[in-house]
Amino acid sequence: MSVDPPSAAGAGPEVGADEWVARQARRHEQLPGLLGQAQRLAGRVGWWPRLAAAALAAAALPALGLGGFQLQVGINALLLALLALGLNVTVGWAGLLDLGYVAFFGFGAYGFALLSSGQLGAAGIHLPAYLSLPIVMAGAAILGLLVGLPSRRLIGDYLAIVTLFFGEAFLEFTTNVAPRTLGGPNGIVGIDPIQAFGVQLTSNAGYFYLLLILLVATMAALRLLDNSRTGRAWRAVREDPLAAAAMTIPVSRVKLMAFAFGAVIAALAGTVFAAQQISVFPPDFNTAYLILIYAGLILGGAGSIAGAVLGGLVVVIILDGFLRSPTEAGYIFYGLILVALVVKLRPWRKLAAVAAATIALGFAAHAVAGAISARAVAGGPQSTGWIATAVRDWVIVPASPKTAGNIAFVVLVCLLIALVQARGRWRTALLPPAIYLAACVWEARLVAEPSITRQILIGVVLIVMMNARPQGLLGSRRVEVPA
Amino acid sequence: MDFFVQELVNGITTGALYALVALGFSMVYGVLKLLNFAHGDLYMIGAFTGYFVIQWFGGPSALTIPVPALVLIMLVLAAGLAGGLGLAIERFAYRPLRDAPRIAPLITAIGISFFLENSALLLFGGQTRVYNTPDFISLSSGISIGPVTISSVQIMVLVLGAVLMAGLQMLVNRTSLGRRMRAVAADREAAEMLGINVNATIAVTFFIGSALAGVAGVMAGLMFNQVTNLIGFLVGLKAFTAAVVGGIGSIPGAMLGGLLIGLAESFITGYISSTYTNLIVFGILIAVMLARPSGLLGRAQLQKV
Amino acid sequence: MTADGARPDAGGQPVPGTPAHPVLSLDRVCLSFGGLRALDELDLQVGGREVVSIIGPNGAGKSTVFNVITGIYEPGGGDVRFAGRSIAGHLPHAIARLGIARTFQSLRLFLNMSVIENVMAATYGGTKAMPWESILRLPRARREERAVREQAEEILSFFGQRLAGYRRDQPAYSLSYANRRRLEIARALATRPRLLLLDEPAAGMNPAETHEITELIGRLRDERDLAILVIEHDMHVVAGCSDRVIALDHGVKIAEGGFDDVAAHPAVVEAYLGRDPEALAEGE
Repeated sequence: MSVDPPSAAGAGPEVGADEWVARQARRHEQLPGLLGQAQRLAGRVGWWPRLAAAALAAAALPALGLGGFQLQVGINALLLALLALGLNVTVGWAGLLDLGYVAFFGFGAYGFALLSSGQLGAAGIHLPAYLSLPIVMAGAAILGLLVGLPSRRLIGDYLAIVTLFFGEAFLEFTTNVAPRTLGGPNGIVGIDPIQAFGVQLTSNAGYFYLLLILLVATMAALRLLDNSRTGRAWRAVREDPLAAAAMTIPVSRVKLMAFAFGAVIAALAGTVFAAQQISVFPPDFNTAYLILIYAGLILGGAGSIAGAVLGGLVVVIILDGFLRSPTEAGYIFYGLILVALVVKLRPWRKLAAVAAATIALGFAAHAVAGAISARAVAGGPQSTGWIATAVRDWVIVPASPKTAGNIAFVVLVCLLIALVQARGRWRTALLPPAIYLAACVWEARLVAEPSITRQILIGVVLIVMMNARPQGLLGSRRVEVPA
Repeated sequence: MDFFVQELVNGITTGALYALVALGFSMVYGVLKLLNFAHGDLYMIGAFTGYFVIQWFGGPSALTIPVPALVLIMLVLAAGLAGGLGLAIERFAYRPLRDAPRIAPLITAIGISFFLENSALLLFGGQTRVYNTPDFISLSSGISIGPVTISSVQIMVLVLGAVLMAGLQMLVNRTSLGRRMRAVAADREAAEMLGINVNATIAVTFFIGSALAGVAGVMAGLMFNQVTNLIGFLVGLKAFTAAVVGGIGSIPGAMLGGLLIGLAESFITGYISSTYTNLIVFGILIAVMLARPSGLLGRAQLQKV
Repeated sequence: MTADGARPDAGGQPVPGTPAHPVLSLDRVCLSFGGLRALDELDLQVGGREVVSIIGPNGAGKSTVFNVITGIYEPGGGDVRFAGRSIAGHLPHAIARLGIARTFQSLRLFLNMSVIENVMAATYGGTKAMPWESILRLPRARREERAVREQAEEILSFFGQRLAGYRRDQPAYSLSYANRRRLEIARALATRPRLLLLDEPAAGMNPAETHEITELIGRLRDERDLAILVIEHDMHVVAGCSDRVIALDHGVKIAEGGFDDVAAHPAVVEAYLGRDPEALAEGE
């Protein structure tokens, strides 16, 4: 048996050889600078010490004195992280585009709401959580298998449509069918808190810890599963179903298992959701929420456990921040722009130039617009607090901010597209007007509509991530041979 | 019996609408093998365009121009705007992802759909906009055969739908552009090697398909009167299915699928209950897709190894 | 027709060396796509510890034979028997579990999984741990996991330095073309086959690598006790590794026997070099 072609001694591996490719790939994956060092350090300890450390850090958060709103955001974030984790099994590992996923979440919530409330029968059945939870999860597993059945025959796009229909059917079902039992559009209210073995969870802090425990347990379970025959089979089916079948893997059964696992995790999240909210309504499980889950998974990186969790947390924490107050929304908005600039613009001279140009452009534009017509700058920023004071003479907000803001929004979208298309100097040149216009649109329009802004940003996250970094923040780059 | 015929007429008109949306969707799928989730939202954009054209010319009860001219302007503007938007979406969001994993453009499409819906919410507000069609096209104008009435709006939808579909069929089967489209749909790489400008062909297909959605949006506005930023989602979903039921990529198939779904909806609403219409239609669609994944007029594809 | 015994080939002469107790036998297998007849009454046997090569021009139906054997296509007529039982119409994964493994001409590795994971994934059919056992790391799951890893390492070491060391934990996409072909074979071996189907194992390899593959096929037969069916265009490989050669053209077996006989067979020469123009013009 011959050996590898000899490379020049000491000159490193030959360009194009396996070793070289691997080294390049590793270099590519690594984040630059300090982050990269942290990444290497984290890579040296095992996965469970890392998980334990993160869990402990998260557990300390409520003790630091998070208020009611922050705690609710924390609960929402943990919930979405758990959901993204479940979606990761179906989409990230098994590669099945499940667009009805949110219905499993709804199934869990409605299941718990029926079993542990006064809804069924004359006085309700009020099952304790340690009974209703397993029942709901078993039901979700069966439902997952049923919904997964089409995956035996349908692939890719068709499966996406059928599951999307399933999600829509769930909404229609809960809204219209059996209004006595399911409550119709009015939903189910008065759901029992989670209680087991004499402990009753009533405080938000309690639910925060419960969700944290569930999330960490699920992460550990999935991590163990990922490195087992089941996890390998899922990924093999994602990579190449035909080859997987030729390698003794029962493709249909493995796909169904992925659906069932995702469904069970979603249903688990649903039960906690129902118990914590004390009520469930059909719109809680609409397509907008599904897309939020997808945004979390995609942002973090499909196929990666840590990525799914991180994405879920980040999406909620950033987006829910918009709903808090105009000032906090402003921090997030301007903060995001600043972070993006700092991360993307090198060297720092360029960054400084762009920042200076943006500031100068603003004051100049404001002065010109004010000189032409006083009404053009009569509106004043809609933010509050010191941000408003700071940008008062910088952004242009006309007397009727709505129309002008709308027009500016459309122009901004066009400008951003141009920015993406432009290269080199042109891109840098377009940056200041784009940032300035974004600030104007924000002050004139977006800050007053935080929930819409939030939704728009979710859409943008999906589009931008898919185009710029499809593997997400923590996922690893994947290659795919076109079929 | 009269009721039956009336529902039949209503079903066919709704079906023609679905067919138009499905047609564009199917064409796009044909050349790009992409489920364009944003297609329904272009329909929504078309409907809004029509609404604003009516407002521009004095509002429904005080029109400053004759009705045919108004309708023509509505259709042309809606087609142009939706088509242009479709073109932009293809160019900036889908084209960079042509060779990416299959799931990437799909998720991008979902993102675009969500972006469009919420941008429309920001720009046009959440309230339902009303066309008030009866104010300028009398409900009683049209044809009455006994107790069955076909309103002039319905006639317009049917005629325009038929003309557009026939035109499209001609375009795809008889012109060199249609040949290019079919070649790109069959094998993009081979088409490129034969000197076909693939990017241009895909762009044109996107424009035509999106313009059809815009036209359908105006017709829907005239017929159903109400426009919100969310009307695109359900129609898009049903159009996908119409395209799939008929056999994706097939133009007669999309028409057939659209008509079947329109009829099914109309009869379920008429004879069973309007509450359960969507639920039953979804059920039927899931069943059809499971039973015949290649659609009624589509051909099963051979698995390549 | 019986499954055993010598059988006349297309030329009418008895074929020496057809196994008396074949591991695999195809009896009059037919397959059509629409109107196109891809396989026409094909008979084929592979005995234990035997390397049989299938040759023929492009489009002769060679890969189709593999797809019929592995259950990707269901034969339109005839029977496929493996180890004495009929496997026609079985699902691909069930057939693989019975002991038929294959490689793909177009290379279908699990590209984004590591080299060793590619091999370990193929042990799915030989292991039993349920998901919860894996999650809870119950004894059976741990035992199997250990065994599977050892098995995978043993198989990879069969290829010497090629797939050893740091390469095991690299994603499969980082491998060179020749190593991908080797990994395909390694992955197929992990299913613990009795019969190995190799679809153009030397395609795209340089002469040294081709030579290595030829030796490898012999070693697979002798050291791992395998029956092997090979599709190959490179006649050096076919000559070097085959116990018996079968020539196909248009889904019909046109010759069978030792390499030298088949290579010199007039029908084979004609299939490769073309018929006279009139015959071609009459349509095929």
